[in-house]
Amino acid sequence: MSEQLRRGGLAFLRTTAFRQTLLSAALFAFSSLLILAFVYAFSVGASVRRADAAVLEEIEAVQARLRAGGVEAANRYVLQRTTAGAGDYLYLLVHPAGRRMSGNLSALPAVQPDGEGRIEFQYGRPVADGAETGSDTRRARGRVIELPGGHRLLVGVDVEEEERLVARLLNAVLFASGLALALGVAAGALVSRRFVRRLDTINAVARDVKAGDLKHRAPRNYSGDELDELSANFNAMLDRVEQLMARMKTVGDSIAHDLRSPLTRMRNRLESALREEGGLKAREAALNQAVSDADELLGVFNAVLSISRIEAGERREVLQEMDPAPVTADLAELYDPVCEEAGVDFSYEAEAGAKILGDRGLLSQALANLLDNAVKYTPKGGAVALRLRTRASGEVEISVTDTGPGVPEADRARITQRFVRLEQSRTQPGSGLGLSLVQAVADLHDARLELSDGPGVVDGRGPGLRAALVFAKMK
Amino acid sequence: MRILIIEDDREAANYIRKGLRESGHVVDHAADGEEGLGMARAAEYDVLVVDRMLPKMDGLKVIETLRGEEHRTPVLVLSALGEVDHRVEGLKAGGDDYLVKPYAFAELLARVEALARRRDPEAVRTRLVVGDLEMDLLARTVSRSGDEIILQPREFRLLEFLMKHSGQVVTRTMLLEKVWDYHFDPQTNVIDVHISRLRTKIDKPFAKTMLHTVRGAGYRLQA
Repeated sequence: MSEQLRRGGLAFLRTTAFRQTLLSAALFAFSSLLILAFVYAFSVGASVRRADAAVLEEIEAVQARLRAGGVEAANRYVLQRTTAGAGDYLYLLVHPAGRRMSGNLSALPAVQPDGEGRIEFQYGRPVADGAETGSDTRRARGRVIELPGGHRLLVGVDVEEEERLVARLLNAVLFASGLALALGVAAGALVSRRFVRRLDTINAVARDVKAGDLKHRAPRNYSGDELDELSANFNAMLDRVEQLMARMKTVGDSIAHDLRSPLTRMRNRLESALREEGGLKAREAALNQAVSDADELLGVFNAVLSISRIEAGERREVLQEMDPAPVTADLAELYDPVCEEAGVDFSYEAEAGAKILGDRGLLSQALANLLDNAVKYTPKGGAVALRLRTRASGEVEISVTDTGPGVPEADRARITQRFVRLEQSRTQPGSGLGLSLVQAVADLHDARLELSDGPGVVDGRGPGLRAALVFAKMK
Repeated sequence: MRILIIEDDREAANYIRKGLRESGHVVDHAADGEEGLGMARAAEYDVLVVDRMLPKMDGLKVIETLRGEEHRTPVLVLSALGEVDHRVEGLKAGGDDYLVKPYAFAELLARVEALARRRDPEAVRTRLVVGDLEMDLLARTVSRSGDEIILQPREFRLLEFLMKHSGQVVTRTMLLEKVWDYHFDPQTNVIDVHISRLRTKIDKPFAKTMLHTVRGAGYRLQA
């Protein structure tokens, strides 16, 4: 069905725009009818009621004559009324035998009056002498009553003008409503066709993208209307998807690179262990090495998982107001001997009284990564410093500074991405995930990760790296 | 020890069962929560190893039910969910320790044995003795063969944990969790460095080595 409509170019019939236009046209037509009903009730209705009242008054007048002077007096009154120009009033007095006695109508209308004598009828326009011509048929309403003694009296009022007015009004309103409806349908069709055409272009882009071409973008007319906004959002979404795809590809390539080598190593070791080269001892060593290769792989997986979870912001609610000093103190205590072992001088300084919104576990993990890096890249005789201080701006800064080779400024933005490892660090163990995790933790804490040169070049070594987590001042 | 494994993954269960049996333990296995609950109720076990996600009845539900019935058997929860929140959930339900998949068997064995040890009344112990090594938990002093050894606070806690689990393997992860309260593994082997520091204080001056490295697993303090 929908395909048929689409092929027939009638797809607009199903669009929201078309339905909306149609609905408002119908509402317009309906309200026109409503207005008509009101006009009728207040103007025509009122004049009919006035006419009915006038008829009753006239009947009362005839009956008064009848009571005073009998049928003769009533007859005289009617004669007098009809000859003296009764205006729009119609009279007829009929003898009990059925003979017309007086009045400007020739005979009682064939229409039967209702229970109270009300009657609607047609008559020929009466001429001045009281005779009905019969040529010009007009509409009238009135009342027929039976007088004492069997005479019957009809008093009526001509309502032809009112009826015509109603008919004209009705025609005008019906015509206007019909026109509005037709115009509405036409306008709706026009608007909807345009709407459908623009939607079709967006759909076409979506189909192209689905088919695998991520480069397509929906055209925009920059009018700022809904469709333009839809196109803009759609394009922004595609940009994001493209970006994510690119990143996925990088991650995929990197995973392939970083996991393939340990996996290959492990496989080779296990294989040679199977061949029992070098006896039991060598076999055991190979197996042990294979186990640590597997651990390394698991480490990479776990790191990727933690980063994803932290980035997803699952744990934002765990942040609480805390003094970071105990966290840094614990880490200092953990890493001091590690530095000593590595022949690197370690120093720790912390200002008391800092306040941040944080999570001990995540902060520890991030700082441990920074300290791991610092120890790893600082040569013997170098120095690593962990420092906690509150800046003049009220921001809290936790920094790790080393005297290693540092990171060239051009690479600093890049190294926080997943799996990015600088050429010179390829030889070092590591997954290239450490700084990504630090960045993710920083983002979760609404903190900045600032990377800058360390103490500078000393004795041909340096300039070192200073990595600082900067937390916003607490309100 | 008699150990009950409640784990729906047959392969994982067989792997654990085989390893634990080789270590000299008696092992039963239940493949779903209901069966596991029934078996735990019916027999006396020293340790329960319970997978978190089980068919028919959730692992945490099994533990909660047992704890509600005054079962005090120590429970090691196994889970693929490693976040701190999940860990807290597992411990709140009545689990005594939490191990995230994938794990090394040595890690599981060390934790199971550590849990069994916990059943021994230790709450009122103020003095730990392993061979000629003595620790006074009230005075915070350590001595070996009568010679006093000065330890930093963290070294003291590290040795305390090793002494409480003397004769058992404790893994690096266990030490990070129990002594430092860190639930991540730093890249550098920080624990090795701390152990070697402790070693220079408690072992080096003496003829007999007490603190051993267990390859592929961790450390063991032995008299």
